[in-house]
Amino acid sequence: MLHEILWQQNVRLAEACLHHPFVRGLANGTLEPEAFRRYVAQDAFFLNAFARAYALAAARSQGEETLVSLCELLNGVLRELQLHAGYAKELKIELARVQPYRAVAAYTDFLLATAWQREPDETIAAMTPCMRLYGHLGTELAKTIGAGNPYQQWITTYSGPDFLALVARVESLLDSMAEESLAVRDAYAYAMRCELNFFSAMLEHNA
Amino acid sequence: MSRLDGSLLVLRAGTRWKDATTAAFLDAINDSTLPPEAFNRWLVQDYHFADALTSFQAIAAAKTPRQSRKSLIAGLGALDAEMDWFEAQASARGLEFNAPVHEGCRRYCDFLIQAAYREPYPVLLAILFGVEASYLAAWSRLSPKGPYAEFIDRWSNPRFADYVESLRVLAEDNLHKSSQRYFNDVLTHEREFWRMTWEG
Repeated sequence: MLHEILWQQNVRLAEACLHHPFVRGLANGTLEPEAFRRYVAQDAFFLNAFARAYALAAARSQGEETLVSLCELLNGVLRELQLHAGYAKELKIELARVQPYRAVAAYTDFLLATAWQREPDETIAAMTPCMRLYGHLGTELAKTIGAGNPYQQWITTYSGPDFLALVARVESLLDSMAEESLAVRDAYAYAMRCELNFFSAMLEHNA
Repeated sequence: MSRLDGSLLVLRAGTRWKDATTAAFLDAINDSTLPPEAFNRWLVQDYHFADALTSFQAIAAAKTPRQSRKSLIAGLGALDAEMDWFEAQASARGLEFNAPVHEGCRRYCDFLIQAAYREPYPVLLAILFGVEASYLAAWSRLSPKGPYAEFIDRWSNPRFADYVESLRVLAEDNLHKSSQRYFNDVLTHEREFWRMTWEG
């Protein structure tokens, strides 16, 4: 299956994300609250673009089944954004005023440029890594979560059946829409690099 | 004094303007001390950039009203001729364009493409003016001599300066509340692009 081939081709990047200090901080609960605050703000900005990329893929797709899948995936992002709005309220972040960090703008510009200009299969190839990676991180972190971890809700969300069903959905869509090509491989790999850069940016901004 | 010094967008960009139009890469061209691998890297990456700019400009031309789009359409023809010229330059140096797009170049290209589709035409005019004006200013600081004289002349000659002036008038006659922000973003990408050509 294409989704598994692409994941395996990029598994080293995925493991680098799993062992990234930001993710380790979530896993053992020691991540500085300020870093999580930055993450919530930047991730909400990112998800806003991610939702729009699904919407563009839906508009440009063919066949009713694909359209339904993309709308369900879009709804999944909107639910994730509601979760972020909850965090933002708790952490007193004004999501509407968030300015993206350079690494985050690079990622959203890439997604939106792809969704507008390239073919829908490349868009799905660019969007799958985020979904599969978060499912992977959630599942791995859930195995060792300690009592009283302040990031338990984050871990529970991304290891939960609702999110994992969305991961399966986008991967099955990728298998049905795309064939292994240079453009598809490149979109998937670049998105995975953007994921790693995203985590790094959360720790590099100490403002 | 260059005509660009009177541009509102340039003035309001503050120090970003100088940061985007001066670079170690350009100093080394001026001194004829540029390592050939840095020049070759620039040539290949700038070709990829010109390809993305062609897409950007075609979309911008489609969105811009008839009375304002002549310069954009003429510029598109010149850009396509420039790509032919890049191909000839690369072939003479035995370079291939299938080298991977550098991340700094890719970020700039993605920025242009997403903006082309999402932003209204006045913002696109500010972006295009930013791209071409910063190139004119960067190359105009150099003396057209030495092994790269042809390159320096290409982006500092009076015809190119007239084209940039026509873009300035369009951008500044159609200012939008986001024009300055996008113009400044272009300058940040320009600075990063020059840094990438120098550092690899």
